[in-house]
Amino acid sequence: MAPNSINWIALYTFVARETGRVFRIWIQTLGAPWSSAFLYILIFGFVVGQRIDEISGVPYIDFVLPGLIMMNVMMAAFSHTSFALYIMKWIRSIDELLTAPLSYLEMIAGFMIAGVVRAVVTGIGVYLMAVFFTIATINNFFLALVYIVAISIIFSAAGMLVALWSKNFEQLSLPSIFIITPLTFLGGVFNSIDMMPPTLQWIVRINPFFYFVDGLRCSMVGVCEANAWIGAGIIAGLTLGLGYWVWYLFKIGYKIRE
Amino acid sequence: MKALEIDKLRKSYGSTDAVKEISFSIEPGEFFGFLGPNGAGKTTTIKCITGIASFQGGTIKVFGIDVVADYRRARTKIGLAPQDFNVDIFAKASDILWYVAGYYGIPSALRKKRVADALERFDLGSHADKRFEALSGGLKRRLMLARAMVHDPDLLILDEPTAGVDVEMRHDLWRYLQDLNKSGKTVLLTSHYLEEVEMLCNRIAIISGGKIAAIGDKSEFTMGGKKLEQTYLEVTKGVNGNGTK
Repeated sequence: MAPNSINWIALYTFVARETGRVFRIWIQTLGAPWSSAFLYILIFGFVVGQRIDEISGVPYIDFVLPGLIMMNVMMAAFSHTSFALYIMKWIRSIDELLTAPLSYLEMIAGFMIAGVVRAVVTGIGVYLMAVFFTIATINNFFLALVYIVAISIIFSAAGMLVALWSKNFEQLSLPSIFIITPLTFLGGVFNSIDMMPPTLQWIVRINPFFYFVDGLRCSMVGVCEANAWIGAGIIAGLTLGLGYWVWYLFKIGYKIRE
Repeated sequence: MKALEIDKLRKSYGSTDAVKEISFSIEPGEFFGFLGPNGAGKTTTIKCITGIASFQGGTIKVFGIDVVADYRRARTKIGLAPQDFNVDIFAKASDILWYVAGYYGIPSALRKKRVADALERFDLGSHADKRFEALSGGLKRRLMLARAMVHDPDLLILDEPTAGVDVEMRHDLWRYLQDLNKSGKTVLLTSHYLEEVEMLCNRIAIISGGKIAAIGDKSEFTMGGKKLEQTYLEVTKGVNGNGTK
């Protein structure tokens, strides 16, 4: 094997193993987020939404749908990689990867591709559920897909970082409870930034999640509240920065190699 | 070219030196016994060879390939049956072999054959669809050996491979390892069953307190009609400073 060649069979095998797990335990990995997304769409989008005025010319359910999709995409990607890698560390099956002729990039790519697949399938499921309640337009399908995949990569990388850092299951759950959930709710999932008191709007504007949600909303229903270039810069920066960080930690064997 | 060449290997866990600048080598085709008391540094050395542990000093080469600088190529040469079960306990036995063979880049047609051969060789055919957690201790041990062999490595590292294996299977395993060794494979074996080491190995090293306390041909350890166990006790107690040597 040449030092810099890609071990495609190994990569494919690892991705097949990881994605296979997503579909094998689909009730937990896909059914649970679809179920809660259905309730969000029904109650917030459909029932409550009928009593809320249009936002920037679109019905509330159409305004909130991209946020719900993005919220589930982020959680799916994060949950997948954080749990998969942490469990591998915990039961030491990570040794199977460490002793095999896989490069660190191939290991990371394997986790990330599976995370992206789970996130995209979750997002598609949420979208299809919304079709029962609204037209659920997608103005720019390609751009929407780019946003979903890019954000999935970011959260897959974040999940891996948390898995590497965590010493126990409690630590593993802390970031999603105290960082991801608050930033999601303050990122404009359920409301326009204009609905926020002016004194709090700056919090939303410095929240990267606002740009993630806004990017998808802009590409789906054409409501764009954030500066797209700032959003693109944040997404590119986080993708490269977190990706490099994960690669570096794998390279030095941080908490995976004795 | 040596099958394994370790030069001044140093490994610490915090302030504890687990392996203290040890050096030894194994010739291709050797059946090498690596002995020592619990905590002497055997498993740590193996983990450094296979990439499970990083190390602070020294070099390790497998068939001339540096295990750090060219780790991917080095790992294709090594098969490891570890002391602890480092495996996805929820996976089926056949899937464990299938995935690991895939990690070594074996194409699916050949992989199918290798997995079937490994299951048959270790008498695991009727357990292929059982999850790892549902297997008995002996079956788990056999599966670890099958996993180590599924990619046909040149250097086989066995860390206490017969612990928990019944007598019948142990004898089968000995025959299998001897056949493998005769076919040209190099074997590094650690075991607390010294009669096993005495029967199988042609060279032996004893590690104690993180240092190589003795190394040589088996005949040097059993000179004058001594049992290996007697020499082993003399060496390890002598090194630890609490014996009568």
